[in-house]
Amino acid sequence: MFAKTITAITAAKTVRLFLRIFGGGATAAPGLIAERIDPTILSRLTFRLPKKVIITGTNGKTTTSRILSTILSFNGIKTIHNREGSNLTRGIVSTLIEKSNLLASSEADIGVFEVDEATLPEAVSKINPDVIVINNLFRDQLDRYGEVDKIYKRWSEVLVGLPSNTTIILNSDDPSVAELGNSTKAKTLYFGIEDEKMSLLRLPHASDFISCLSCGYELKFDHIYLSHLGKYLCNNCGLKRPKPTYFAHSIKFLGSEGSVAKINTPQGRFDISAQIPGLYNLYNIIAAVTAAISLGIKVENIEKSLRDYKSAFGRAEKLEINGKSIFVFLAKNPTGFNEVIRTVFWDKERKNVFLIINDLIADGTDVSWLWDVDFELLKHKVDQVWVSGLRAADMSLRLKYADIAVDSSNVNEDIEESLEQALKKLKTGETLYIFPTYTALLNLQKILRSKKVTGAFWEN
Amino acid sequence: MNLNIAWLYPKQMSTYGDRGNIITLVKRCRWRNIDVNIDEIDLGDKIDSKKYDLYFFGGGQDRSQIKVSEDLQKIKRGDLVRAADEDAVFLSICGGYQLLGHYYQPSHGNKLEGVGILDVVTRASNTRMIGNLVIKANKDFIRNKFNPLTLVGFENHSGKTYLGKKASPLGLVEKGFGNNGEDKTEGAVQRNVFGCYLHGPLLPKNPHFADLLIKTALSKRFGDVELKNLKDSEELLAHDAAIQRSRSV
Repeated sequence: MFAKTITAITAAKTVRLFLRIFGGGATAAPGLIAERIDPTILSRLTFRLPKKVIITGTNGKTTTSRILSTILSFNGIKTIHNREGSNLTRGIVSTLIEKSNLLASSEADIGVFEVDEATLPEAVSKINPDVIVINNLFRDQLDRYGEVDKIYKRWSEVLVGLPSNTTIILNSDDPSVAELGNSTKAKTLYFGIEDEKMSLLRLPHASDFISCLSCGYELKFDHIYLSHLGKYLCNNCGLKRPKPTYFAHSIKFLGSEGSVAKINTPQGRFDISAQIPGLYNLYNIIAAVTAAISLGIKVENIEKSLRDYKSAFGRAEKLEINGKSIFVFLAKNPTGFNEVIRTVFWDKERKNVFLIINDLIADGTDVSWLWDVDFELLKHKVDQVWVSGLRAADMSLRLKYADIAVDSSNVNEDIEESLEQALKKLKTGETLYIFPTYTALLNLQKILRSKKVTGAFWEN
Repeated sequence: MNLNIAWLYPKQMSTYGDRGNIITLVKRCRWRNIDVNIDEIDLGDKIDSKKYDLYFFGGGQDRSQIKVSEDLQKIKRGDLVRAADEDAVFLSICGGYQLLGHYYQPSHGNKLEGVGILDVVTRASNTRMIGNLVIKANKDFIRNKFNPLTLVGFENHSGKTYLGKKASPLGLVEKGFGNNGEDKTEGAVQRNVFGCYLHGPLLPKNPHFADLLIKTALSKRFGDVELKNLKDSEELLAHDAAIQRSRSV
């Protein structure tokens, strides 16, 4: 063991302790310091882990990795997981150091690591994973990532270099993700959805990969499940969606409360009654199921463990406050927001809505994306609307042009004041649906905690 | 009264919320009882240059831009040049702006030929110019009242655009990079052809500019039209918020 590594671990543990005492989250800083002291720290910390899984994609990383680690834990496997949401290498290092002794070893059997899209190359080369799960690729934080194409290129460079004993688990319905399976030696498993009833009538405006990545010709979609995800083929060069061997079908939405579906895998079939809503979450579930099977978990045990699963913070989480309910749905990019709207407003009932838009670095400093979201679908479906966050003015302007009038007294940059106002207006038993961007979600969590409202996830 | 809009390459060239410009043009016309017709013009489609009063051309990714450049040369260039000559209004943003110029020179490979109705050229650079952008509008293109004098948005480009003699800048940079980060100019205007790097999107937060485009586009067929004033409090709040944010970041 390098002296440097021990120094790095000691320093990080000290910083973590210090931050925790003073009330900080300590999800990134200890890792950042450890990486400065020993740049090889991530490889050293993961070297002795028997199995390692990396999960990436624009949307659903957090939920997919939480579902997978729930399944693994339920089956008695000790997992280590960067569940607090810092998905750059420093966040992973922080988690690993917290769970390791000074000699960089932990008792975990499997590491489940959620990794930022742009960080995938670095994470793969340092962690050397056994399994990589890729969910999807959508426009997101373009001020930070540049173009979605750049992410696609980075991913394909990583996958081309993988050895044949790695398993990659790809979404067959996303043309950009499925294409990654065509030029790799790694073992490739495809997951997807097979349910015609779920198809949209047309591609949403915010669809990114609508041309064939092989010849450039426009793809033909027989079914469109969400954004550019669906059943596609290229009439020019013959490229088509690989048939998924792990898929969800016979899907029924139960609004914000969840959905039911049947899952098919080569190892067996089962029904699920998911407490997390929306088609996007079925993708997350089937991705996690595929990963669990590839790690050797039996289908019947997966089925049992899924009954236990609760939402991650802010991902369709329901909370109670003074006799009123709040539902929090993180909404951070056009496709995510479109799908959350589709899920929450599935039924006809008008709803009370609170939108919180920030433009800090973790949100994306460009709020242009609000105009790629189909807010027009909310017309006639909202009752009262409140708007807050650093870009409240942009949000209320967007709603005006979607024919949704927001009373100017309901627009307030201060999130806490705005929440108070909304809750005061709500009658007992009514529900407020909150849609925050990422940093707005963190603000909200802090405010709710000060009101002594906490969700299931917050204790761990 | 009615306005005919051609939306160029809505599938290929609309990655940064540029659709907001179309939504804004439509709403601001309909709120004044002006009918709007929008035709989406994709790869392979021909343009009837007699039909349209206003053309909108948004921004896209490099891969799309290559295909669009080819399509422009092959199918659309002649008609777009004719439309510009006949004083149709063009609004182009980012990639669309670059392609209405003479060419875009990438760091590797061949030049992407543009339409050439803006006397500008663009070259790739190693700096990505990203952030809130605030400019003071060039008074030369303002024909009526234009209040506020600022235009606000968000830029995200690595191409550096340089103006030739026939084009004037849309404005001067107060905050941000603008055309090239060197000469303080942002955007270009030449007759009724406008181009700039302002996403945000541009028109919702700059209603005065949206109205200038609508008025100019209508004037060709309907003479000097007076547009009814709209209550723009939300628009101007967002305009001011963008200026505020540009100062704090």
